[in-house]
Amino acid sequence: MATSLDASEAKVAEHKRPDRPTAMEHATPWLFVLPSVLLLLAVGLYPIGYTFVISFHNWTLGQAEPSFTALSNYVEVLTDGAFLDAVSRTMLLLAITLPIQLALGLGIALLLHTHFNKWLRTILQVVLVIPIAITPAVLGLLVQVMFDNQFGIINHALASIGIQGVNWLGDTTAAYTTVCIAQIWQWTPFAALVISASLATVPSEIEEAALLETSRWWPRFRRVLLPYLWPGITAVLVFQTAFVIKQFGMVYSIQKGGPGSATQLVMLEIERTAFRGFDIGAAAAQSILMLVLSILLAQTYIKLFYREAA
Amino acid sequence: MTAIKYSALAIAALATATTANTAQAWSLEEAAKPYEGTTITVVGLERPSYDAAQRLTSQFEKKTGINVEWTTFPYESSLKAQTLNFVSRSQQFDLILTDVVWPVTFVESGWVQPLSHFTNDEELVNPDLDLDDFVDIWRAAFSVDGELYGLPFDSYSGLLYYNKKMLKEAGFDGPPETWAELKDVYGPKLTDRDAGQYAFALQSAKGETQTADSFTRMLWPFGARYFDADAEEMTLTSDAAKRGIQYREDLAQYMPDGIVADNHSQVVQAMGQGRVAMITEWSAFYTTLKDSKIGDDLGIAVEPKGPDGRYSAFGGFAYMVSAQVPEARQDAGWLFAQWLTSKRMARPLIREGAVVARESANSDPEIQEEFPYLEPMLETWKTSSVPDWRPQLRCYPKFSELVSDWGTRIQLGDVSVDEGLQGMDKRLQRYMDQTDCWDTVNQPRKYMDAM
Amino acid sequence: MANEKLLKLLHGLAVVLILGIILFPPYWMVAASLKTESQLFAIPPHWLWDTTLQGYIDAFQQSPILSALWNSVWVTGAAVGLGLLVGAPAAYGISRYNFPGRKQIWFWYVTHWMLVPVVILIPFYLLAVNLGMINNPWILVLVYQVFVVPLVVWLMVDQFRSVPPVLEEAALLDGLSRFGVFVRISLPLVKPGIVVAGILAGIFAWNNLIYAFILTPAQGARTAPTIALSYLGGYKVPWTQVMASATLISAPVILGGIAVHKYMARGLTMGAVK
Repeated sequence: MATSLDASEAKVAEHKRPDRPTAMEHATPWLFVLPSVLLLLAVGLYPIGYTFVISFHNWTLGQAEPSFTALSNYVEVLTDGAFLDAVSRTMLLLAITLPIQLALGLGIALLLHTHFNKWLRTILQVVLVIPIAITPAVLGLLVQVMFDNQFGIINHALASIGIQGVNWLGDTTAAYTTVCIAQIWQWTPFAALVISASLATVPSEIEEAALLETSRWWPRFRRVLLPYLWPGITAVLVFQTAFVIKQFGMVYSIQKGGPGSATQLVMLEIERTAFRGFDIGAAAAQSILMLVLSILLAQTYIKLFYREAA
Repeated sequence: MTAIKYSALAIAALATATTANTAQAWSLEEAAKPYEGTTITVVGLERPSYDAAQRLTSQFEKKTGINVEWTTFPYESSLKAQTLNFVSRSQQFDLILTDVVWPVTFVESGWVQPLSHFTNDEELVNPDLDLDDFVDIWRAAFSVDGELYGLPFDSYSGLLYYNKKMLKEAGFDGPPETWAELKDVYGPKLTDRDAGQYAFALQSAKGETQTADSFTRMLWPFGARYFDADAEEMTLTSDAAKRGIQYREDLAQYMPDGIVADNHSQVVQAMGQGRVAMITEWSAFYTTLKDSKIGDDLGIAVEPKGPDGRYSAFGGFAYMVSAQVPEARQDAGWLFAQWLTSKRMARPLIREGAVVARESANSDPEIQEEFPYLEPMLETWKTSSVPDWRPQLRCYPKFSELVSDWGTRIQLGDVSVDEGLQGMDKRLQRYMDQTDCWDTVNQPRKYMDAM
Repeated sequence: MANEKLLKLLHGLAVVLILGIILFPPYWMVAASLKTESQLFAIPPHWLWDTTLQGYIDAFQQSPILSALWNSVWVTGAAVGLGLLVGAPAAYGISRYNFPGRKQIWFWYVTHWMLVPVVILIPFYLLAVNLGMINNPWILVLVYQVFVVPLVVWLMVDQFRSVPPVLEEAALLDGLSRFGVFVRISLPLVKPGIVVAGILAGIFAWNNLIYAFILTPAQGARTAPTIALSYLGGYKVPWTQVMASATLISAPVILGGIAVHKYMARGLTMGAVK
């Protein structure tokens, strides 16, 4: 155990070792943790268990009482196509936006880290908060206005530099692109801020020492800065993945997953199954599958990258 | 038919006369006495009719001492909110609002009371109720198994709006009579893509707009139907269906690009800015268009005819009384619905911006002059549409989603008209068979004949 | 040296470009809210126009935005308060003690952050119905904990870890209890963490749509973001009013975020528990 502790904790452990911990000492960490655990059991685990049970029942809201059907919801969900399409659409969004957000986020973080102009730096820091804070449903409305085929400022801007207007909302590929752009616009600043906070943890002596050692940028970045960045990058990965998987408000308010199902992400699909088709059993099965997928993703990130950090 | 109708009216008149003579005159104040202080919750939508109703509600409250609380939803979430209310038996709403496609769902689940539950109670029924004054198609639309369940309110029809000036400049004196004419004669003359001018725009956004406004609109006039309920078979691969949907594809050349993402607001906007010469939209958009830049040039007509005749879009709502709330709240709710949809309230409501299904008010020449959309709307209800223009079945929500999915794919060119219709037909057939939804199909057209 | 000047210039240009990209959409939103409808959709767009507050007047008069904003304010406040109350001690426990299951518990918190909302939404709806809490915004305070607590724990574990243990040891030797040390010594030292955790949790609670969409649909019980959705009926979209509402909905969290920006750099470190 001791090997996995970081420096500050090692000190605590060292200091404590002489006294044998009392029963009270054993219980203390749990006293700190317990309230939150109880709360999460109530609002998290219990409902999940309930949904898990429902997922094995055939239950269309308002049309019949729940009846046990074993795995048939899962079979239906996995063979119908609409759900898997929505999952792959969501994963594609993740695959497109994640690298871009990380790269841009890192770039902005490095801009912030470079102390050329204090004034500009402060402004940038302030402004980065804005996209994060904008209500996604509001952003969707704004996308509708800005990307409008006829009246939108985007097409107008394109036209003024001689590019033919794009049918942003009416064409399936363009509509999907619109969602990618909005997603990147909203969450890249978050990546930038987290990475920038990690950069701030790099002790300046170390950085200065490295500067003396080599003037080339890349080796300095890779060997000196990067190790400090891994936890932040992992956090960004987990957060952005969650933002994409949970994405609902922004896409819904652009055009509810349209045109057709071009931007029908997984949350929209589950909401549609549950509260438009009222097929609660199938929606429960879909939610459980997504839960499994997101746990796997989180675990992968953490295994992959926190090991790097060690 | 006419004879039967007349005699029915005569009997009604006689009955009214007798009641007036024998029993003491009915009054709302008197009828509401037992319910004074009761609070009822009424579902509304975020649309002009409900704004109008809310503005007038205090009159009812003053007269009766019944408190009316309005809860309004966007259309999109109203079915969800009401279904969840019933399923959870949470008694949130006393008066519920049903679209023309939902009555089966509410009725067969036993969530709502038939109107006879109240009309059989002399103390609750206004002698001036006159249900026959609701245009036939509306009574049919809210009847299930011959029994009436809802009092129509916020009632629309599809109409052809046209820009008189644009048509005139292109050499037309009036609007097209038929869909074919609209495409072949008006289309080319009114479309100038480089100038951003288009003959027509058909709102086709994902969801109910695609299903009802776009897809269904091209089925009926061309002689196509969704299904044959008695044979339990989908009929979307018929030649008529192909003709209709192919027509929609061909019409696209005279419409702006990206119509597949456009909702009501976009096409109304396009028309209001003078970029589109004609649209087929709900009667309720009259005010918006009248207030727009082209207001003075706005023309209104019945929707064009197809090879199979005239079948305009038909839609609207009705109030039903929840069967899950205590008796007193049901009665109070009934009194409010009866008052709101009464002949007497129809004119003030129209003037406040609402649309109602009352024939007497809608055919009043004085009101018609003020609101020129009333005449073509009434004509549509009487001669040019059917109550189940959108099919009435319990599983309509998912049915509509599937139509919307495939309908959009055809419009986007992902599949050909043939492939798309076949795919839609097959998917819907499987869905209807799996869910036993055939048993729940309501065919209100049958009641029309009896009216 | 010329090289450094060029670098400085490029750096400045890059920052200005980023500022432009980030600021334009919110600017366009606020501008749209101050135009009339025909100005809003004018081609070419109007860069100067006669400002009108009609959009805001309409928003206040025709939509329940005021009550929705108020609901959002207290729901967010209560949710963040509760989350900090239970989350901060949990983060402290995890960062200061090495107990069996600590790593698993931390991971368990993190997975809550990834939870697809519908997975708990259906049971919550039924529960709310049984407790008569449909349209009672307190249910939101409860359900928001599912993402507020993990966020608070995740952010604050790192913060507590950066507090030098010697400070706490000294206080312990002075006779303070563990809990006393937590409240009097450690908490004040992690103020940036508390502020950042609070504001971020607040942003996510404020902006949440799906729970409020289902659990508090009634007019008086709505939260601000659901007002944005009410314009999507597809029926008639009064765009200036929509943009005015959009501005009103977003402004409180944007201002809150800006107010605490200086804590971001120190408070947003999110480490791992190994």
